[in-house]
Amino acid sequence: MDISRRRIMQSALALGALQLFPQLTMAQARNLVFATFTGSWEEAHKAVLVPAALEHMKDGNIILDPMISVDQISKVMASREHPPIDVMLHDPGPALTAIEQGLIEPYPVADSAYYQQLMPEAQDPMGPSIFYQIVGLTYNPDTIQTPPDSWMDLWKPEYKGRVGITNMNSSLGTGFMVELAKLHGGSDSNIEPAFELLTKLKPNLAAVAANPGQLASLFQQGQIDISPGNFNAIQILKARGVPVEWVAPKEGAIAFKTSIHIVKNSPNRDLAFALIEASMSPQVQSQLMEAPYLVVPTNMQVKMSGEIAESLAKDQAEMKSRFRFQDWKVINPNRAAWIERFNKDIQV
Amino acid sequence: MSARNHDVTVYSLRYGLPLAAFFVLFFITPLLLLVLVSLHDDTAVSVWGVAQYVKIFGEGLALRVLGDTLWLGVQVTVLCLALGYALAWAYVRSSPTTQKVLMMIIVMPLLTSVVVRTFAWVVILGRQGIVNELLLGWAWIDKPLRLLYSREGLIWALANVQLPLMTLPLITTLQRLESNLEDASAALGANAWRTFRRITVPLSLPGIIAGSLLTFSATITAFITQSLVGGGQMLFMPMYIYQQASALQNWPYAAAISLVFLVAVIGCVTLLSYLGRLSKGYATT
Amino acid sequence: MSMGRRNDLSDIALKGTLYLVAWAALILLLAPTLIVLIVSFTDSYSLRFPPQGFSTRWYVALLKAFTLHFAAWNSFLVASMTTLLCVVMGTAASLAIARSTSKTARCLDALFMSPLILPGLAFGLSALIFFSELGVPVSMTTLVIGHTVVCVPYVIRTTSSALMQLPPALLESAASLGASRAHALRRITLPLIAPGIAAGAFIAFMSSFDNTAVSLFLRDARTDMLPIRMWQDLESKLDVTIAALSSVLVIVTLVMMVVMEKLTGISRRIRG
Repeated sequence: MDISRRRIMQSALALGALQLFPQLTMAQARNLVFATFTGSWEEAHKAVLVPAALEHMKDGNIILDPMISVDQISKVMASREHPPIDVMLHDPGPALTAIEQGLIEPYPVADSAYYQQLMPEAQDPMGPSIFYQIVGLTYNPDTIQTPPDSWMDLWKPEYKGRVGITNMNSSLGTGFMVELAKLHGGSDSNIEPAFELLTKLKPNLAAVAANPGQLASLFQQGQIDISPGNFNAIQILKARGVPVEWVAPKEGAIAFKTSIHIVKNSPNRDLAFALIEASMSPQVQSQLMEAPYLVVPTNMQVKMSGEIAESLAKDQAEMKSRFRFQDWKVINPNRAAWIERFNKDIQV
Repeated sequence: MSARNHDVTVYSLRYGLPLAAFFVLFFITPLLLLVLVSLHDDTAVSVWGVAQYVKIFGEGLALRVLGDTLWLGVQVTVLCLALGYALAWAYVRSSPTTQKVLMMIIVMPLLTSVVVRTFAWVVILGRQGIVNELLLGWAWIDKPLRLLYSREGLIWALANVQLPLMTLPLITTLQRLESNLEDASAALGANAWRTFRRITVPLSLPGIIAGSLLTFSATITAFITQSLVGGGQMLFMPMYIYQQASALQNWPYAAAISLVFLVAVIGCVTLLSYLGRLSKGYATT
Repeated sequence: MSMGRRNDLSDIALKGTLYLVAWAALILLLAPTLIVLIVSFTDSYSLRFPPQGFSTRWYVALLKAFTLHFAAWNSFLVASMTTLLCVVMGTAASLAIARSTSKTARCLDALFMSPLILPGLAFGLSALIFFSELGVPVSMTTLVIGHTVVCVPYVIRTTSSALMQLPPALLESAASLGASRAHALRRITLPLIAPGIAAGAFIAFMSSFDNTAVSLFLRDARTDMLPIRMWQDLESKLDVTIAALSSVLVIVTLVMMVVMEKLTGISRRIRG
């Protein structure tokens, strides 16, 4: 073959192949991207929610892209016209930011079969809440014989080099710091006492995890023995034979509701609707309530039972009275500055 | 036969035009854009100003992270040099078959994903990992050491990941060394150590510089290893840039620290290249 | 004057030390790969070494890990397109600059090789900002463009090296026998440097497949890249499936490397 003909062939091949990509991207347009949380949430949703949602979808696929709330907001804000995510999961703070920034499509409440079944607190036309996260203390019962009973146990000298925490990018981290501050003279808007306590915690720290998923895996590797943690995160670890237990500190466990939203400008609104409907349905919520997922439901038709009823609360009313809630409207404006300060203070 | 003025082995510079255009459009322009974006004061990129650079040089965190990163590069390069030099030295003294096998072992990591190679170190350095199991088994320690998420562990993991980059130039240089010189040195009465110190090492300086350059550059930009083995309490430039750009969406600041990082890297590379050129002269006299 | 070695003790000490360190280095190079291979056969969820029990369950899990398949397929596509672009543009550029001594050629050479030294993250960020400002959404195409910039130096390096080793006498005699330059290029030069181009293409392909710095910024869930997916999975959960995937990747790389070594003597060319 002549060199010029070979060149033309090569360029034609290249052009032809590039032509494939628009088709590929179009073929991928029916992939719904659901940004769930890392770790146990990803496991729970992959096993229960995604299959249930797929049953109600005529076509399309669901891709899970696990990331924490603040990362979801960054990604969508960076590309509003062509959002890389179709359905977002948010903790209370980032949910407010997402609504303010106009990243969210209002949920078509009138068409929903399950919206009205949710607790009044969980109903929000910008995005219903589908579960509550409960934060307490997670520990390894094999290496820590007396169960901890207070947040301040983390500072005990015998836990030197055994404590794990997450950074403040996740709500787990921020909630923990705010709670610490409130117990020591601070408030939802002033967490200076928490930063002081953080400096005193550093000798005890074995690792600072990038997200709650990583924090759980640190127990799996035996890198940490005690940490603040989500209630349902440990169940999956237990199912794998990792020795972990969860206990609510005497100061009270922290609860925050988690909401699910359709992203504005998503090309897959119908698929997103099907997914969110499935997440609110009593079938999915009661299945997620069972071991090993133990996700706290918000659908009033689901009677709390099993381990959740024993360890946490017998019904939604008791939950509201036993747990501590935080004012994210007040926390949000300071969050970016706190995150930067935390990342600086935590360096060895 | 008419005399040809031009060398038939040289082709027209126009052949390089497609790639040059590609680079101008997709390499130089983005970098220029990076400079422009860094000269803005706010995250929405609308107000011009040098606030980002004031923050970098005034506040000190960025400079500290940069210093930490460069120092990590130095530590890893020195360790790699010790290991790689011995390996290269052993290579040139091995039989051709052994050399073939050794070469495969050295080159293969370069073609394997860095995630795969770093993942192994999470297994090796963990509390339940091999090193701790061995040390506990031999009763050298009674509690597991913190190797993962520690600086020492990170240095060893990085040295392992970058070792091929250091070894290959050293092999090339050591192979070119005339063995006569070493024999002559011995015949003149120098012991092995003296020969090594005064002849072998100085003459292999170009290889040392080349290997160090590659290892240093690769180490300081080794995002994955720094993050998986270093953990959340050790912040280096790559993760700092990624955090600022991705999680905090602060493009002007991220752009500014990227550029400071770029300039620092270019500075170090230029310094090492200059030393390399000096050493070439030294090595051939 | 005595000929031959004096001070055998220091001779042995030096040689002994060097061989010892060399062995340490060799173990350091081999151990991680072997460990990953062995750990992938564990039957439990933990990454303990040595594993307490053996099974192939994680390879079975790998067969069902659709997110990993999706990311692997994307990486493969991007690497293929990148290699194609790199070979076409890189070979042409090598022809232009390899044997030329003009200032422009030297400048172009420095420019084309600079992505090897500059931090890939800085380039990745700049590319993201560039495409974002242009309003071009992240896609396979932007990934291919980004990867091409950082992978083309490998093609240029091996191709230029092959060109430099070409004996000019061949081309001069072809010219003196009346062959046109295009003819000489097609019939003499390209076939002779083909192994060099092939080696460069192989390295560019692997480099693109394994690329993290650029993919980190230019990818999203719909254009997921395998190294990034693996890193994120490793960070947020200790999934032993990743160990199984790593083993598969290592074996495939090893096989490809042996093949390429036979075809093009690639280990020589990587040394540059």
